Amino acid sequence: MKKSSDFPYILLFLGPALILVGIFVYVAIAWNIYISFTNWRGLMPSYDFVGLVQYKQLFQDPIFWISIKNNLILILLFVPGAILIGLFLAILLDRKVRFEEGFRTVYALPFALSFVVTATLWAWMYSPSDGVLNTLFDKLHLEFLKSAWITDPKIAIYCVIIALIWQFSGYTMIIYLAGIRSIPTDHYEAAMVDGANPLQLYRYIVIPQLLKPTLSAFVVLMVFSLKAFDFIWILSRGGPGTSTYILAVQMYVETFAKTKFAYGAAIATILLLMALAIVLPYLYWTYRGEKK
Amino acid sequence: MTKNLSRALLYGVLIFLVFVYLLPLWSAITTSMKSTEQVALTTPVTPAFPPTLEAYKIAFSELKRPILNSLAFTVFATIFSSVLGSLAGFTLAKLLKGSTSKKLLMIITFGVFLPYQAILIPLVRIISNLGLYNTIPGLILTHTAYGIPITTLLFANYYYEIPDELIEAAKVDGANPFSIYLRVVLPISMPAFVVTAIYQFVNIWNDYLFGVVLTRGEEAMPATVKLANLKGSFVANWNVQMAGALIVALPTLLIMIALGKYLIRGYTAGAVKE
Repeated sequence: MKKSSDFPYILLFLGPALILVGIFVYVAIAWNIYISFTNWRGLMPSYDFVGLVQYKQLFQDPIFWISIKNNLILILLFVPGAILIGLFLAILLDRKVRFEEGFRTVYALPFALSFVVTATLWAWMYSPSDGVLNTLFDKLHLEFLKSAWITDPKIAIYCVIIALIWQFSGYTMIIYLAGIRSIPTDHYEAAMVDGANPLQLYRYIVIPQLLKPTLSAFVVLMVFSLKAFDFIWILSRGGPGTSTYILAVQMYVETFAKTKFAYGAAIATILLLMALAIVLPYLYWTYRGEKK
Repeated sequence: MTKNLSRALLYGVLIFLVFVYLLPLWSAITTSMKSTEQVALTTPVTPAFPPTLEAYKIAFSELKRPILNSLAFTVFATIFSSVLGSLAGFTLAKLLKGSTSKKLLMIITFGVFLPYQAILIPLVRIISNLGLYNTIPGLILTHTAYGIPITTLLFANYYYEIPDELIEAAKVDGANPFSIYLRVVLPISMPAFVVTAIYQFVNIWNDYLFGVVLTRGEEAMPATVKLANLKGSFVANWNVQMAGALIVALPTLLIMIALGKYLIRGYTAGAVKE
């Protein structure tokens, strides 16, 4: 193969993609980190280098810690919730169900919708006075289930989580169904011959095969839960008060509502570090495991 | 006997879950077809009787321009990001080999996992400095750039499966990479283009974050941003909000129902690789 003669074409084909990603991802990340070390405030982009001032202020900001706490609640409840329910749906649908495609489409439908759409739908679901849930519970004589939902600061973040699980469980179901379907049938047959019951089949054949999809679902959902700005912003504006703030919401408010650009950039940098802590080990593991 | 019972239970659970998953959508559909008085007098799940398109008229007049904006930048950014992803994916999978290709792919795919907050302030500066703030081309450029990581990954994975012999044979015949791409690779790339384009269309159409920081007036505002703004405006009765939400959801709902198979392939391509 004449490698050298390919070079102009490699440049031509890969160049545009690399330049765009280089500028919009890597230069932009570096630029944002630089801004976080300045005192940029106000709409005019004029500023001085001030070192770690923004970070010092950030670590003393109670709202920052509320945001971190809510980000952790999302990771601890939303991520496993969406994964377990998706796995449950996949196992149900894997039982040679009639109209499987119809069921699958219904469960996966919410995931194809914009967060702006789903947040609007759930605002109506949760509306305390006339919304779907409270009216339904009234009619069904289940008054004890009525609640202030998203307007109650104590439970608002859990309302967000329920709605997000509704939207994402279809996605994890898809991932798991593909994972289950990719198991070679002779594995099943061998286990059946050995007299395995369905439970053992899952325990020894299916679950081990689902390690990889589980891992990637975890990474995708954890990274999503860090940046779940659209949904929360439109459903609750981070409220009531700051009860549903996450870092992505705080970053947006500080930057675009209060024009504290350097402060917003510092929050964004923390967010990036958290994402890196999740993504880098995963990418390393994926690409290292691919040596064929 | 127990077998029949467990089948009945299985379908019972599946059908119950259909109601649970569709409840928000069903309620949106019925509410959107009610007048404001009907919304107040009936429950949110009661069918609209008689149905009226009043709310749709209001919602549509608000959303008309933003929908055209969304269509414009979504279509172009989908095409651009798919084509660039195909070229890059082909280069990484077939022209470059070994660790260079792997490293470059990793550098590009990192963008798939990037929390966009980490680039949001510089992005607004870049687009403003280019004179593209509050313009459709600004949104096309942005969505193309941030689409490339996933489109490159989808195409590279597809092209890895093409036998090297096919490329080598064309090379022996004296074809350069450009004509190999045009004559050998492109004709068999349709499945990857379908999956990637559908995935990108849904993603870009659904975006809110880029739209809200890169536009101000109606000239370029995406439908999602306008829908979010409806929530706080004077016309924001529930019936109008639900009609608006369904109008904005319509393109992606149709894609999920008619072409769900391809969309699902896009979702799984990154997650389940053998």
